[in-house]
Amino acid sequence: MKVLDDMLIAAHARDDRAALVDLYARAADTVNDLDAACFYLTHAYVFALELGDARASGLHARLKAEGREA
Amino acid sequence: MSVPPTYLDKVRRPIAEANGLPNAHYIDPAIFEQEREALMFRQWAGLGVAADVPEAGDAKPITFLGMPLLLVRGRDDVVRVFQNICRHRGMILVEEPRKIEGAIRCPYHSWCYGTDGRLVSTPHVGGPGRNTHDSIDRATLGLIEVRSHIWRDVVWINVSGDAAPFEEVMADVMTRWAEFEQPLYHGGSDSVLTLELKTNWKLAVENYCESYHLPWVHPGLNSYSRLEDHYNIEKPGRYSGQGTEVYRQVTNENGEPFPDFAGISAKWDTAAEYITVYPNVLFGVHRDHAFAIILLPDGPGRTVEHIHLYYAVPKSDSGLRQRNTQLWKTVFEEDIFVVEGMQRGRHATGFDGGRFSPAMDSPTHCFHDWVASQLQRHSTYAGAAE
Repeated sequence: MKVLDDMLIAAHARDDRAALVDLYARAADTVNDLDAACFYLTHAYVFALELGDARASGLHARLKAEGREA
Repeated sequence: MSVPPTYLDKVRRPIAEANGLPNAHYIDPAIFEQEREALMFRQWAGLGVAADVPEAGDAKPITFLGMPLLLVRGRDDVVRVFQNICRHRGMILVEEPRKIEGAIRCPYHSWCYGTDGRLVSTPHVGGPGRNTHDSIDRATLGLIEVRSHIWRDVVWINVSGDAAPFEEVMADVMTRWAEFEQPLYHGGSDSVLTLELKTNWKLAVENYCESYHLPWVHPGLNSYSRLEDHYNIEKPGRYSGQGTEVYRQVTNENGEPFPDFAGISAKWDTAAEYITVYPNVLFGVHRDHAFAIILLPDGPGRTVEHIHLYYAVPKSDSGLRQRNTQLWKTVFEEDIFVVEGMQRGRHATGFDGGRFSPAMDSPTHCFHDWVASQLQRHSTYAGAAE
């Protein structure tokens, strides 16, 4: 997770939103806690939405399935 | 202000007896605030042009008399105007013109909006990782849309939302120029001028309306467009300006002009008209090109003029376009010392608003009459509201 954290910080620093979608989605898969996973998924989803990235619909579906998104 | 000042009646007298608007209407911040409401927010006022956002997703923030607005061309190709704020904490959403690739994300807490204004995501609003909450009804929290209408590529807005329908308000000028109701093609980056003026916006209108100043301020026009070739244009309560009967086309090195607008009548072979549609849009029409100038006031003594030139065909001669832009730039720049000089003159306490030439100044008087009428109307309205 430390490596992933560093990659996230670096992606934020260079404002690489496409990378942030991927990295936050990966972060969601590294945690066992549902709230923590949905926190990361939310970030991945928001950056995907902003970019008009096709990954947004899949991320939205995962959040909705957990009752976390409309 | 619940009682209209009596001097407005003096402004509204017949031109031979009238005074112009007194100094305070050009320099007093309190009156500027009243005029902001009465002359801009309650009217159909020009904000920008659709060509400012040529492609789907293009967004341009524009401050309109202090109000942050956002001009957006949605994915559905519809141009809309929103208040440029998030419905959550009122944060400014878009700081610079840019392309919205997907959603408009607030940089504060990342609430996201579609380019059509819908609120589409409210991250963590119900707690970490919980993006909904019963009290946050997304359907009622979209971006605040400002009533807008596009005509002659100008994006007109009615901030108060209660003006009569655009087509009703503009019916007369739309009828006058019905022959030009056909596609206009913006000349692109070489056909845009921006002038920052140290003047009240009304002085830019007043100078634009009348031809009286032409032989003195634009002596280059005297050789072919003499004062007697011009006529006044007035529609009380709506617009005023001037026309010429000797418009001469600009040509390229081969003597070729721009293509004409299709099907216009012979009158326009030599005629051109220059009209201010109240409050803040200055138009010019010619057989082969047109322009729109949008005046964006920035306080009592500062105005930014956004000038856009248009043609009858999508791909006009770029060299000729640049030449035409330069010709107009010269004319518009010749007016700067006048509008800035009159603004400085408004600090002379002895000035009583001035007098009008009944023969030459009626378009200006027409504008002052409209200003006074709207301020009287606003005063009555505000008084009733109290």
